[in-house]
Formats: sequence, structure tokens, C-alpha cells
Amino acid sequence: MTIRRSLFVVLAVAAAALAVGGLSGLAPFGHYPGPYGDIINAVGTHQQHVTNMVTAVTFDYRGFDTLGEEYMLFTAVTGVALLLRDARGTAANARPKRIRGRPRLGRSEAVMTAGRWFAPVTMVYGVYVVLHAQLTPGGGFQGGVVIASALLFFYLGEGYRQWRETVRAPVLDPVEAAGTGLYAAAGFAGLLSGHAFLENVLPLGTTGKLVSGGLIIVLNLAVAVAVAAGFALLFVEFLQETRQFKGERT
Amino acid sequence: MTALFAILLALAAMTGAGVVLSREPRRQAIAIGANGLVLALLFLALQAPDVAYSELVVGAAALPLLFLVALSVLRRGRRPR
Amino acid sequence: MTLFPYLVALWLFLIGLYGIVTSRNYIHLIGCLSVVQSSTYVLLLAIGYRAGAGAPIFYSHPPGTPAVDPVVQALVLTDIVVGAAVTALLLTLAIQVERHRGTIDPEALRPLQD
Repeated sequence: MTIRRSLFVVLAVAAAALAVGGLSGLAPFGHYPGPYGDIINAVGTHQQHVTNMVTAVTFDYRGFDTLGEEYMLFTAVTGVALLLRDARGTAANARPKRIRGRPRLGRSEAVMTAGRWFAPVTMVYGVYVVLHAQLTPGGGFQGGVVIASALLFFYLGEGYRQWRETVRAPVLDPVEAAGTGLYAAAGFAGLLSGHAFLENVLPLGTTGKLVSGGLIIVLNLAVAVAVAAGFALLFVEFLQETRQFKGERT
Repeated sequence: MTALFAILLALAAMTGAGVVLSREPRRQAIAIGANGLVLALLFLALQAPDVAYSELVVGAAALPLLFLVALSVLRRGRRPR
Repeated sequence: MTLFPYLVALWLFLIGLYGIVTSRNYIHLIGCLSVVQSSTYVLLLAIGYRAGAGAPIFYSHPPGTPAVDPVVQALVLTDIVVGAAVTALLLTLAIQVERHRGTIDPEALRPLQD
């Protein structure tokens, strides 16, 4: 291990010298030179009728990259579900028991109250962040993870049993798949009407209103649903691993 | 470059080193939370509120939970003495 | 010190890599991988920053006001969310390794031993 450590330090110093030489060729910090950001900031509001340029870039100008990113998320969540469910058997919805020999910890009143209070507030905030994607900072990705974290507050407030009765894997699976598939299907709307894939073919609306941006609204909702359901499914699969199922040998 | 950037970048470097140098995984989960919080503040100072949203929720809520649950699952196989 | 953000990104990258190389626990290794990922976020956002400019949101001021680059922000925010899902997949693989081999020490799991 010592050889590996010293070899790494030597190589890291050499790589750092090369990297500093490369990084000094960049524009100094605070003086962004490139044309693309300025072009999009100048024409984005006029072309797409949205005021959040980051949303316009994510869902319209570079919408194809977002399609790839969303499918990466879908694949990762599918991989987690496949690996963990395969080891657990098909008892995905059976009533799980606590593992023998583990200490049974009581939950404090403060944590339960905080969880119960924060869960609906965070859920409403997450829906607000999703819906105002084209106006103020926000979007499908951010709002989706905020909604999934609201489900975590729910878990803290209610405990494992009630949480599992409400948040079920057989409901989350089709919801997540629907969100992911809706993104690709919305892209086909452009092809069917004679334009390019993922082109903005819906009426654009007025800038500054909630309904503006055309196809960006549909793509935004699809991503929000897919991300929220995907992260909730990750939490469900991981937390199920902490319980023991019937017929499973440890 | 203002003092705010200097402080936030130095804090980001320190918490990043803290994540690596915490060899005990339970301690590392908390270090990841602290790193996520500092990075979210740094992204906010760099005028990127969308990115700060994502980093805050992912780095301070989702990642520490996944790490702690994975640790709890790993201890299952060992019978308590 | 106009290179300071880029140097911080380089420092995070190298120390994360050091953690991966000298790790004795797979869970610790996955945490160090997330540090390496965050170094790329810092680098990208530092490139797109313009001094004295605001966020690229034109809700309360007209589109002519100076703003930072929105393209790198779009890249980074999708990257953060997908990075968390891939970290979850890696943690699942670590759990599977522990079930099959009984240990999560990378030193003990080298394939060409025996």
C-alpha cells in the first residue's frame, strides 16, 4: 500500500503540473468570453416566450441531451430494482418483519412532529418548483427531487409500516415508466406534424404567465414525474432491505 | 474575486478533503452532507440558483440517506455477539 | 489569484482520486467518487461565471441585463441528479458484493489472487 500511495503522489504532482498549465489557458475567472451564453440570453425570451434561460436550454435548445440523461436515470433505477428484488424474491409487497437481534429504538417526539409538519409543506413547495420552471428558478429535475425528499419527511414522521402502506412499489413502477416514456412520446409530436424531433410545436403563450413555452411544459412535467417516482423507488428499495422477508435466509 | 468566493471555495476544498479523510463510513455520510451544503452555497454565489436546488436536495438529503441505509443493510449479515 | 476556482476543482479531483486509490472500504470509495464528480461541477460553473452579472432568469428585469452562462448550468443540474442515481446503483452493487463474498475490502477482492 505504501508503494501505491507514493506512486500515486508522484503521478498526481506530475498531472497537476500539466493541468495547471492547461488551466492557465482558460479565460480568467469572472470574464466569460464565449458567445453561446450571450446569444441564448439575448434571443431566448423572444423565441420561446420563457424567462428562465436554464429551462429553455435544458428542454428546448439541448432537449436531446436531457432525453439521454433521463434514460440514464431510468436505467440506474431499473438496475437497483432488479438487483435488490432478485435477491429478495417476489415478496415485494409482503409484510416485512424486523430483523431478529437488532435493537428496537424508539422514535423521539421531536423528529415525528418535525416530519409530520414538514412533509406536506415540502410537497407543496416541490410542486411549486416544478410548475414555475419556465418563470423562476426551478424545473423538473429540481422539483422532482424535492418531492421525493418530502416523502422522506413522511417516513420520518410516520414510521416504516405506515410509510410502506402508502408509498408502494407497484404504484411507483408504472408512474416512473410513464414519465420517462412521455418525454420520448412528446418528441414524436414534432415528427408527426412535419418538424424535427423534440421541436417546440405547441402554441407558445405569453411570456411571464404560467402557461408559456409550448412543449417545454409537457417535457418539464414528464421529467418531474419520472425523477420524483424514480427517487421514491430508490428509497423504497433501499429501505426495504433493512427488513427481513418470509422465506429469506440470512 | 471577492472575499465571499475565497471563503466558500476554501470551505469546499476543506469539506471535500474531509469526505475523503473520514475512513469510517458513518462519519463519511455526515461529511457528505456538509460538503453538499457548502457546495450549494457556492453554486448560489456563482449565480446558479437552479443548480443550488439540485445540489442541496441531493447532497444533503438523498446521498446521506442512501449511504446510511446501505451501511445498515451491510451489518445485517453479522450476527450480534 | 484568478485561477483559484480552477485550482480548487483540480484539488478536489486529485484528492478524490487519492481516496479511491487508497480505500479499504467500498462505501468509502463511493463517497470519494462523489467528490470527484463535484469537482467537475465547480469547474464548469466557474467557467461560466461573469463578474457583476446576475442569474440567467429574466422574470423581473428585461433580457438585456448582464447574466451568466445558462448552458453550463443546464449541464450541471441534470448531471447532479443522475449522479445521485448512479451512486445508488453503485451502493447496490456493493451490497451484492458483500452478500456473495462476505467482505467489502477492495484489497481482499482482487481477482488475480490465489
